[in-house]
Amino acid sequence: MKVSKTLIQAMLVAVTAGLISSCEKPGVDAGKKVPTEKSKTTSYPDNCPACGMG
Amino acid sequence: MGKIFSSISCNLDENILSAAIPLFESEQVEAIEWSFDTLFKVRNIPGWFVELLTAFGNENRLIGHGVYFSLFSGSWSKDQQDWLGHLKKVSAEFRFDQISEHFGFMTGENFHYGAPLPIPFTFTTLSIGRDRLQRIYQACQCPVGLENLAFSYSLDEVKKHGEFLDQLVAPVNGFIILDLHNIYCQVHNFNIDFNELIRLYPLHRVREIHVSGGSWEDSQIIPGKRIRRDTHDDSVPEEVFHLLRQTIPMCPHLKYVVLEQLSNGLNTSNSRNLFQQDFKKMGSIVKDYDGQQSMLSQHRFHPATNPVTGHPMADRLLQAQQSILSNILESANGYEHAQQLLRTSILSNTDWEIEKWEPYMLETAIAIAQKWKNGFD
Repeated sequence: MKVSKTLIQAMLVAVTAGLISSCEKPGVDAGKKVPTEKSKTTSYPDNCPACGMG
Repeated sequence: MGKIFSSISCNLDENILSAAIPLFESEQVEAIEWSFDTLFKVRNIPGWFVELLTAFGNENRLIGHGVYFSLFSGSWSKDQQDWLGHLKKVSAEFRFDQISEHFGFMTGENFHYGAPLPIPFTFTTLSIGRDRLQRIYQACQCPVGLENLAFSYSLDEVKKHGEFLDQLVAPVNGFIILDLHNIYCQVHNFNIDFNELIRLYPLHRVREIHVSGGSWEDSQIIPGKRIRRDTHDDSVPEEVFHLLRQTIPMCPHLKYVVLEQLSNGLNTSNSRNLFQQDFKKMGSIVKDYDGQQSMLSQHRFHPATNPVTGHPMADRLLQAQQSILSNILESANGYEHAQQLLRTSILSNTDWEIEKWEPYMLETAIAIAQKWKNGFD
């Protein structure tokens, strides 16, 4: 399936700049520094089914 | 058989995404599978990841794969209720084509710790499993399925697994994820012929196939015995690709073939290259069969009516048995110690049939439970 170039670029930026980490590691704020408009973060306050907040 | 999508397991993880980006760039990824309940330690999901999920969802090519629900826990917990609430919310946010979970109960006391292990195939476990699958359907309102488990304690259990899966998903008209590496584990660990084993599965219910790698572990109690484990941390063995070629024509309603690998197996450029090569090989096999059969799949995998559920089912005895088994597996000093503890526990002479467990598989259960008792930390 075709994925837009801007989206792939945002993924590349996040990966190469080390802005995301393994989701296996605790305390990661996966989107805190991603610098593009596409990369604005979406809050999921209930993202953790167990503790209600990651 | 309609269109079959060559897919990857894709989570918010640097190693996985690094391996996957070249495949996205070359437009080879036809669908993605997201473990929607694994971001519990992440405060915010980056916009680009939301965009990725949305893009595939809008094309009906996003599938969800849960990890932590613990379908067969004897107790019903607030964590499970919250998990359903979370599923309902992400299902409203993203368009999933289907949702699946793993077979078994999680050994850990903490909701996000532990590993799934098998349960006895009884009326009680069947009823609990059906009840919970109906709740998952109510939350997501799309086809619901279960993945076959790699681990079994005995050959008898291996042979009954497929039929039990069929009975479990029948009320929700659900589907099966056939993990071929899990089958590969069973074939090796119990010395059973693949053709004999595969026919014991409800292949008409297979909507998804997983392929992945794993690892070998030498038994410490049976010299020369090697156990195959579904550690998902290595490239796909050629034998599993061979099983894929054999299995696809047997599954008339197959829609997704997913390459799965965990982050810890994708931390070098070489391992990422191997992942990309595996994907291309998998995609090539899928294309060989895709569209060969003229009959399009008409199976919708939705129940005829929306299931009505009352209070969640639970069973105190099952809960107590699972708690004791988890404690034994997580704390035993080895196989003999675990055997001794099991023989004097409430699990003795019950439907768990601990007396029939293969020693090397009990040994493996101890290794699995102790590996995951602290989660991913």
